[in-house]
Amino acid sequence: MHTILNQTLLKKRLAAAVFSLASITLVTPLLAVPLQLPPVRSPVSQEHHLGKPIFFELVTPDLVAAKQFYAALFGWTFRDIKADGVQYAEASLNGRAVAGMVHKDLAASQQLQSAWLSFISVGDVDSAKKVAIQHGAKVLFVPHSIPNRGREAVLSDPQGAVFAVLASSSGDSPDILAESGEWIWSSLQTTDADTGAAFYQTLFDYEVFEASGDDSEQHLILASDGYARASANTLPQNHPNTHPHWLNYIRVDDINKSIKILQVLGEHVLLTPRADRHGGNVAVVSDTSGAPFGLLEWTEADSKEISK
Amino acid sequence: MKTRIWRWIVIALLVAVSSSCAVSGGGYGYNGNYGTSMDIGVGYYEPFGGSYGGWGPGYNVGPFRGGDHRSDSFNMHRGRSLQRAFRPAPSSHSMPSIPSRGANRNGGHPSR
Repeated sequence: MHTILNQTLLKKRLAAAVFSLASITLVTPLLAVPLQLPPVRSPVSQEHHLGKPIFFELVTPDLVAAKQFYAALFGWTFRDIKADGVQYAEASLNGRAVAGMVHKDLAASQQLQSAWLSFISVGDVDSAKKVAIQHGAKVLFVPHSIPNRGREAVLSDPQGAVFAVLASSSGDSPDILAESGEWIWSSLQTTDADTGAAFYQTLFDYEVFEASGDDSEQHLILASDGYARASANTLPQNHPNTHPHWLNYIRVDDINKSIKILQVLGEHVLLTPRADRHGGNVAVVSDTSGAPFGLLEWTEADSKEISK
Repeated sequence: MKTRIWRWIVIALLVAVSSSCAVSGGGYGYNGNYGTSMDIGVGYYEPFGGSYGGWGPGYNVGPFRGGDHRSDSFNMHRGRSLQRAFRPAPSSHSMPSIPSRGANRNGGHPSR
């Protein structure tokens, strides 16, 4: 009698457990809202510029602090996107999307630091990945199609600099001068600029222009569609511990004014303003989580000079 | 016998539940699935300890601001071979700069 009662109780408990698990199994996927990232271009553009850096994304362990920092320095505004356990912020300037920021926890024990990732335009991500691998690159994030954005992959070039390729489903930004507070330039600092340029030329069909001076470092200009898109540079010889990386620059009208704001914010100036080429000033700074980026002073007079 | 069947049902359901909670292969790297080198996605952190900036004199990275300033002294100064890993742009092509016009922002190629 006692055994029969025990068996009945066990069956009831098992049935309850099965019902609970079945409910979770069915309901969990329904509750998961997929992350809807904003498009690169709005309104949609029909332009595509192979080899042009078209989007920039920050990964940071402190999204709130990052938003405050970039708002104070450049006047960026943000739209929070939370879904599927992800905290993402779309950064805009004067109503135009300029960047994305994604939160990711970072334990103090992890010897890693925050960074901006450059997305370079391609027509076919899978083809670009294939060519990149054939020429010594590593795939860090296999090609994925992302709703609203397009298809993207993250790669590490043969010397270790990390970048992303993106086939934007909303088109690329037009070839116009960046406004103050927008991304204006990108540079590759790498062990061997010569072979670095060759790799990216294979991938993006760049025209490569020699721009080295009398110094010992090599500087190359990577161009497409008749515009300079980026530079490839030998790593500074006085910084042997620096690993190959891409560095992206935001346009400022007055670099000293920007540096003062940065100092008030308590952040780091990694390279104080200095003349770069034709009198323009450049600086390298880092944000609240240590992500480095450049400031490039570009005035209306500079544009007039080009237009001549 | 019945208990054994129930046990298998429970195990199967547990497997199903764990699968539904995992990030599927068709997802993308914004959802925290950064555990493997093949799927770090945009959750990319640079190796710590690299030094940035601090460039010495003559270290330039920016775009040119007008005119063709292509260096023809590179090989003289460095004594390197003319052999390049890349294909140099034809000498007839001028050194380009960045776009200079800020006109119509909603599309279209500005005149250069």
